[in-house]
Amino acid sequence: MSLNAETAAETAGLRRSIDLSRPIFGLLALALCVLVILPIFWLAVYSLQNDAGEWTFENFVILATDPTILRAFGLALLMALGVGILATAIAAPMAWLAARTDLPCRSGVRILVTASFVTPPFLGAIAWEILAAPNSGIINGIYRWLFGLEADAYFVNIYSFPGLIFAIACYTFPYVFTLVANALERVPSDLEDASAILGASQLTTLRKIVLPMVMPAMLAGSLIAVLQALTMFGTPAILALPAGFHVITTKIWSLFQFPPQPGLAAAAALPLLLITVILLRGQKWFLGRKGYTVIGGKSGSARITNLGVWKWPAFAFVAFILSLAVVFPYAALLKAAVTTNIGEPLSFASLTWQNFNFVFFEFDATRLAIWNTLVLGISTACIVTILVVVISYLVVRKSFPGSSILGFLATAPVAIPGIVLGVGLFLSYANPVLMLYGTLWILLIAFITIEMPAGYQQISSSLSGMHPEVEEASRILGASRLTTLRRITAPLLKTSVIAAWCFVFIGTIRELSATILLTIANTKLVSVIIYDLNESGNLGAIAVLGLTLLVVSFAVVIIAHRVPLIARG
Amino acid sequence: MRGFFALVALLAGLIAGSAHAAAPVPYGITPALIAAAKKEGTVTYYTSLELVAAEHLAKAFQDRYGVKVRVERAGSERVFQRIGQEYLTGIHNVDVADTSDAVHFTYFKRRGWLSQAVPAEMARLWPADMRDPEGYFAAFRADLSVIAYNKRLVQPQDAPKSFADLLQPKWKGKLVKGHPGYSGTIMTATHTLSKALTWDYFAKLGQQNVMQVQSSTDPPKKLSLGERAVQVDGNEYVVVMQQKKGVPLQIVYATEGTPLVVGNAAIFKTPAHPKAAKLFYAWMFALEAQQLNSDFGGVRSFHPSVKDNSGRPPLSQIKLLRSDTKELEANLATIKRRYEQYFGT
Amino acid sequence: MAFLELANLTKRYGAAVVVNGVNLAIDQGKLVCLLGPSGCGKTTTLRLIAGFAVPDGGEIRVGSRVISKAGAAKPPERRNMSMIFQSYALWPHMTVFENVAYGLRLRRLAEADITKQVGAILDVTKLGALAQRYPGELSGGQQQRVSLARALVVKPQILLLDEPLSNLDANLREEIRFEIRSLHDQYRYTTVYVTHDQTEAMTTADVIVVMNQGAIDQIGSPEDIYKRPLSEFVARFIGGTNIFRGANAGNDHVSADGVVLQCGSGEFGPSGETAVSIRHHDVKLSETQPDFTSNVASAMVERQIYLGSHRDYLVRLQTGATVRVVSDVAVDIPAGRQVWLYFPPEHCRALAR
Repeated sequence: MSLNAETAAETAGLRRSIDLSRPIFGLLALALCVLVILPIFWLAVYSLQNDAGEWTFENFVILATDPTILRAFGLALLMALGVGILATAIAAPMAWLAARTDLPCRSGVRILVTASFVTPPFLGAIAWEILAAPNSGIINGIYRWLFGLEADAYFVNIYSFPGLIFAIACYTFPYVFTLVANALERVPSDLEDASAILGASQLTTLRKIVLPMVMPAMLAGSLIAVLQALTMFGTPAILALPAGFHVITTKIWSLFQFPPQPGLAAAAALPLLLITVILLRGQKWFLGRKGYTVIGGKSGSARITNLGVWKWPAFAFVAFILSLAVVFPYAALLKAAVTTNIGEPLSFASLTWQNFNFVFFEFDATRLAIWNTLVLGISTACIVTILVVVISYLVVRKSFPGSSILGFLATAPVAIPGIVLGVGLFLSYANPVLMLYGTLWILLIAFITIEMPAGYQQISSSLSGMHPEVEEASRILGASRLTTLRRITAPLLKTSVIAAWCFVFIGTIRELSATILLTIANTKLVSVIIYDLNESGNLGAIAVLGLTLLVVSFAVVIIAHRVPLIARG
Repeated sequence: MRGFFALVALLAGLIAGSAHAAAPVPYGITPALIAAAKKEGTVTYYTSLELVAAEHLAKAFQDRYGVKVRVERAGSERVFQRIGQEYLTGIHNVDVADTSDAVHFTYFKRRGWLSQAVPAEMARLWPADMRDPEGYFAAFRADLSVIAYNKRLVQPQDAPKSFADLLQPKWKGKLVKGHPGYSGTIMTATHTLSKALTWDYFAKLGQQNVMQVQSSTDPPKKLSLGERAVQVDGNEYVVVMQQKKGVPLQIVYATEGTPLVVGNAAIFKTPAHPKAAKLFYAWMFALEAQQLNSDFGGVRSFHPSVKDNSGRPPLSQIKLLRSDTKELEANLATIKRRYEQYFGT
Repeated sequence: MAFLELANLTKRYGAAVVVNGVNLAIDQGKLVCLLGPSGCGKTTTLRLIAGFAVPDGGEIRVGSRVISKAGAAKPPERRNMSMIFQSYALWPHMTVFENVAYGLRLRRLAEADITKQVGAILDVTKLGALAQRYPGELSGGQQQRVSLARALVVKPQILLLDEPLSNLDANLREEIRFEIRSLHDQYRYTTVYVTHDQTEAMTTADVIVVMNQGAIDQIGSPEDIYKRPLSEFVARFIGGTNIFRGANAGNDHVSADGVVLQCGSGEFGPSGETAVSIRHHDVKLSETQPDFTSNVASAMVERQIYLGSHRDYLVRLQTGATVRVVSDVAVDIPAGRQVWLYFPPEHCRALAR
């Protein structure tokens, strides 16, 4: 409050229109610039230099001519497209069934979709190795046993291009599901009634009214799935390498092998950044056609369609998809956790605590990694939540001209794939001036940057739904801006704040693509340990750690929901 | 900042400039050393040993001296990359390290990142060509990159006898191998074989639909799972470990020869725990650790008193393919490029 | 000396001047209505008084202390005002009691005093039984009463109301309107009330300030404003009127639309042109020609609507201009009939602007 421009005694207490929010704005803008622009700046610099530090386009020439890099780009795009199509094809009908029909166990469906969302994709990929490796995979074993086939016949092969698409789609379809289900819930029933009254059958109404209305949400969801797939590192590293091909993220990673080629890695990262930006613009365009989508008002809640004879077939479809994404993989992990050799059939005799014993008592990296993961997860979640609340507040309340730039900066990291950010951060913070590499700080910076857009989206949308008069009423009654924020705004945002917190927390503990480049022995995280264990083939230990990660994250989420983070005003 | 990667990448062209002193006086494990190490409490050990074997070693040391070993396990090339990144950015986290790529230690030495240390037991017993004349590093272990198969999936009479056999059509889709970009063992073996069998061999092998894993410790595990029938390369010691768990794996010492992979170890220049590092390093070459490594880990030892209890033939009876460290170092980039050309990654 | 003064108050948003040199002095205890169409700057003026906006020019003074001037403003929370919002702006996470007690808690009153004062104001606003409810459980009228109670309980120096009734239905609007006035009579807070509804202004205000395009058009009592408008805008905006625009014909006469009108009051335009306003119900309609030399015109009934208490006529003069007339129900002339109009001079008001 020392910033009042108090003038003469007669005008004591007058405040220039600059108040606290302006320095806060300055600081935030600066912090966001450092977070977002610095790594990209270094990427650009490195991509334009050769090993001797001379300015050159050499890296881009290699990029454009090296067939291995071009192939990796091509495969990555194909893979991402495949994931987008597959994810949409399974998620959109499921969303409709869960949101608008009398499907049995609809809340169960949502819980399992959430479980799929919480599952780190690399963990899912490892589980699918156990299930669908061509020879040792459980599914293929059952297939051979069922049909009495010889030893090398297989039904599915996860180490393949389609297998990779499938394994990614299993953990990206929740994005499509959530967006479509929410949009469907907002299609008011009177629009459907209007169609019905004009003589349209239920199917026609669905096709001609409902589908077009949720189309933008669906396309937006598909684009997110495409984006996730394109920038994903863990799953391709686990499945594509054994299959003998690179996608762009694994290729960038391999450029860090000895002798490292950071310039080329930076150059390869930039087109990925460009593709991401283009895809995001596409998504904005789809969602931006408001007249098409926005379905405001309370004009009747969503109507439930009676499935009739299709009830159980539909249920079977949904149950099948969710089994593939959640039930089977976790069953496989559970089996791996309690047996010595996953290849053996399960029996009481083969049950063992050996893996648990190894992970928790013999393998000393575990406890440190779990500790690091929790510390980082919780601190990232808290910092991001506070940041996005303040930023959203300044942006949504248009505190002063130019505040919208903060919103842009806070969403910009969406366009930076994790591996690209990892490269950029490494280049930015591994130097004698600013030596953060090797500490948890660089990971914290990475996670804050990666998770900010999601948190910002969540908070700013619920804040813009809140009438500014609600805050003004508090101020005119004598509460300062800060008191108002604390006693009115924050409690009203509580639900979204908690949701954003959980979202960030889960996002942090499942992050691998930036993490893999930024950890050292003392800053290992559970995700990296799982990746390392996979590299040396310790499935049992992976299963134990993966299940631990899941239990811990569910526990934290539940606690976060229970404990009132912000006392009621 | 700018110099960082430039320096790393200049590796191949770097010439050993600084003159090194002769090997230092050997040291023994004295009560004073033990006491000092205990005071430090911990030693950080970067290794490419199989994780369970490494943890076993750590536990034995801790039980014996009450000093904790923090094990940081990754494939050799990743250990190397990590140490490189850390040292170049001024992080001196590692006390003692070993990898299965001999190139790494000549590089470390040239960069001046290693301490001179010669444990008495090693000075006495190790063959001269298995340790650095100036005492910067020594061969902690030796291993073979071997062909192996799962006896459940392959009958002994059908089993391959040589690398050439692996090109037979019947092995298509049944082979698994490690990756030279991630594993020092595989890097060394690939270099050795490319000399012995020519690159043409790998071009043909690339047509066999080989399952590609990263670490050389992984192929034996893929055999155990039954995921693939035969490994082209992979650690002999991991196969032995799997055999001990009762998995029916069989090692094949190829008629063309078997690549020998020497795993060096060293103490780093400015360790965070100098005394504990010295103690651990001395112990690593002592009979206890070497025997443990042989019994539990299944690696080969240069300690003459170690008894190999696994029943496999001694090194003297195996046709070994040795690699030339200098030549390997000069060819790193070529090997990786060729490899990606033939195997896709 | 006036209690609340706006001196040459100006506010711009970009190039648009939203409030343009407003001068206004409000005496202590008066209820002043800012009345005008949407976009006339009345709400911005109110937000300037509240301190939510900072003026670009001029000053706001309370009790001769400057609280806002160009580029600087005392923050809202230190103005000792309270405000009632169009959206009620109740806090959904607090009960009625907590909503009302909020301002008192900020003033760090003892909990016993808070309970007493909140109880008292809830009784006055007939909300006593609803104290433990949440705003979501209340009707629109009840919500607005909570909003009133919340604003009044802190005993503000100045009370501000921003279109408080616009979200209510017609019946409630009337009820709350009288309630606001009677609460004002009871507490006598200096009050600024913004509305676009003239009936609302007339029933509640001591003084009405008509605003148009960012500036004040006229200030006066409700009766002043209605009976003695100073501009065509005010005459049209407050109660329906017929406007004739014509040339000054000297001697209080204006000639417009083929009619010569003698005006009993008002001011004539300096440029020789003047508008004449005559209220709908002041025009006399008859089927026979009135016995006057001026202020008479012949016309034809275009339509007639029966409204129970009166009849509403639309008649067309020979020049084609239309005139609206409200007459006694007894005057029943069907459409298409030729009629005579008489505009009594005492009701013809000349408007210079």
